[in-house]
Amino acid sequence: MLSAIVSIVLAIALLAVLIANSRMARRLRDAKAEVALNGVESAASISAAAAAARLGALLDVLPVGVVVIDDDARVTAFNSAASDILGVQPERAVGRALIESVRSYDLDRRLLAALREGVEGTAEVPLHAASDRSLRITTKAVHGADGSTEAIAVVVDLTRMRELEAIRRDFVSNVSHELRTPLAAMKIMIETLQSGADGSDAAGFLRSLAAETDRMVVLVEELLDLARLESGRLEMRFGTVDLSALCRDVVATHMPRARSLGIALDLSLPEQAVTIVGDRDRLVQVVFNLLDNALRHSSTAGHVQVGISLAPGLATLYVKDDGPGIPYDALPHIFERFYVVDRSRSRSAGGTGLGLAIVKHIVESHGGSITAESELNRGTTFRCTFSV
Amino acid sequence: MARENFHRILNETQQDVLRMGSLVEEAITKAVDGLARSDIALADEILNFDDYIDDLNVRIETNCLNLLALQQPMASDLRTIAAMLDIIIDLERIGDHACDIAQITKNLAREPQLKPMIDIPRMAAKAREMLRESLDAFANRDAGAAHLIPEKDDEVDRLYRAVFKELIEFMAKDPKAINRGSNLILVALYLERIADHATNVCERVAYMVEGVPKKLKRSVVEINEVAAHGDALLKAGRTET
Repeated sequence: MLSAIVSIVLAIALLAVLIANSRMARRLRDAKAEVALNGVESAASISAAAAAARLGALLDVLPVGVVVIDDDARVTAFNSAASDILGVQPERAVGRALIESVRSYDLDRRLLAALREGVEGTAEVPLHAASDRSLRITTKAVHGADGSTEAIAVVVDLTRMRELEAIRRDFVSNVSHELRTPLAAMKIMIETLQSGADGSDAAGFLRSLAAETDRMVVLVEELLDLARLESGRLEMRFGTVDLSALCRDVVATHMPRARSLGIALDLSLPEQAVTIVGDRDRLVQVVFNLLDNALRHSSTAGHVQVGISLAPGLATLYVKDDGPGIPYDALPHIFERFYVVDRSRSRSAGGTGLGLAIVKHIVESHGGSITAESELNRGTTFRCTFSV
Repeated sequence: MARENFHRILNETQQDVLRMGSLVEEAITKAVDGLARSDIALADEILNFDDYIDDLNVRIETNCLNLLALQQPMASDLRTIAAMLDIIIDLERIGDHACDIAQITKNLAREPQLKPMIDIPRMAAKAREMLRESLDAFANRDAGAAHLIPEKDDEVDRLYRAVFKELIEFMAKDPKAINRGSNLILVALYLERIADHATNVCERVAYMVEGVPKKLKRSVVEINEVAAHGDALLKAGRTET
C-alpha cells in the first residue's frame, strides 16, 4: 500500500516535470529550427529533448498506470502499466478521447472533471472490460505557463488485493462456521451430561463429543499442514511407496461410508505393482482427500471410481465421481486455498476449501502434477501423475 | 455553425454514446452480481443509475437532432447520426432491463436460492461481451467485427432454453418454487433480449460504415418445444396429486 502511494506521488511529480519539459522541448525545438536556419546550434535544445526522453522512459517502467489528456481531451501519454491494467495498447489510445478506447465511465468522467473544472481526487472505480477489475484512480490538473491545461490520471490495479480480501473474509467465515458448529453441538451434549444422562445416553454423547473433537482437530491440522506446505517447512519422508497397496487401503477405509451413503465405490488397479518414490503418509492424504471429496459430492446411487493407469514412465492415480460437477468458471480456481465452489453446499458437506490446495502442494512436492476435468451434472475426475 | 464545430459536436456525441454504453454495461454487471448475492444495496444502486443513462440519452438525442436540423449532414456523417439515434434506443432498453433485474433482486431477497446460479451469470457474461464488442466496433467503425458479433447470440439463446427448461422442471416439482422460478425466467429473458439489442447495435454499425441496411445473423428463441415440455410436466404433476 505504502509503495503504491509513493509510486503515485512519484508518478505525478515525474509527469508534471515531463509535461513541463515536453512543452519546453517543443518550444526549444521550434527555436532550434528557427536558429538552425541561421546556422546556429543550441546545446540547450538537445538536452531538453534528452530530458524529456529520459522521463518518458522512466514513465514506462513505473508500476502504476499513467494517462495524460490534453486541452482537447485527447490522450497524449499512456504508459505500459496503463496498457496492462486497462487492457488497451498505447497506439489505440494515444490521440483519441479516452472513452473511445477505455470503456470506463468513471475514469473518463473524473479525468474530464480534472481537465475542465480542476476537480482533483482519488477514488476506487470498477472497470468492466474482458475481465472485471477494481481500480484506484488519482486525477490531477496540470496548468502550463502558456495557459494550457492537461489532466493526469494515475491508475493502480486493486483487483488482486480485493480478491484476496474476499478470500480471507470467506475463509474466516468458513472456518468460524466449521468451528462454531461442532462447538455448539459439544456444548449441548456437555450440558446434557452435566444435568445427568443415563448410561447408554451418556455413552452416545461421549462418542459424539469425540467425533466432533476429531472434526475440529482435522480442520486445525489442515490449516497447519497448508501453512507448512506453503512455507516449505513440511517434512517429507521419502521412500519406496506401493501406490496400488496405498489405494487399496484408503478405499477399504472408505467402503463402509460409501455403502452407508448408497454410493458404489470401485477400485481399478493394474496387474503389476506400481511403486513410486514418495512420502507414504502424504500420499495417503492425497487419496484420502480426493476420495473424501468425491463421496461428499456424490448423491445416493452415485458411483465413485479410484484407479491407477500406466503410461511409459508415468503412473496416473485418478478419482472419478458422477456428482454435480464443477462450473467451468470455477474450475481454474479449485486448487486455490480457501476457494469453495458453492459456499452453501460446502458448509453442509463440511468443506473449508483447503483440501485440494493441500493435495496440489503434496503432488507437486513429489514432482508430479494434478489436473481436474469436470462437466456439470456428469461429474469430476481428478488425475495425479507421478514419475515411476 | 462552422464545419469544425460540426465535427467537434459529432465526435463528442459519439463519445457520449460510448459513455452511455459503459454505464449500461456496468449496470448489467451489477444487476447480475446483485441477483447472485441477493444484494439489495447493489440493486438500489442500479435503480439510481438509470437517471444518468436517461440524461445521456436526452443529450445525445438533442445533439443529433440539432446536427440534422442545422447542418444538413450527408453521406457517412448522416449515417453516423442516424445510427446513433438508433443505438441509444437499444442502450436505453438494455439499461431498463438491468433495472428490471435489480427490481427482481429486491423482490426475491428474502427467498432462498433454488440452486447456485450458473447459466444466468454465463448468459450475462456473454451478453456483456456482445455489447462491449459492438461498442468497440462503433468506436473503431469496424464493420467486419460488427458482422461477427451477432453469431454469439446462438450461445445466449441456447443458455436461455436450458435455464427455461430447468426452471420449469423445478416449478413443476415444487409449487413453492414458482415465485422464484418465474422471476428467474424473466431475468433470463431480459439477458436474452440484451444480447438481441447488442445485435441491433452491430446492425447499425455495419450500416453506418457500409451504407447498406442489413439484418445480421439472428436466432429466434424457439420456446414452443420447451413450453410443451413444461405443460407435460405440469399435467403429470396434476395427475399424480
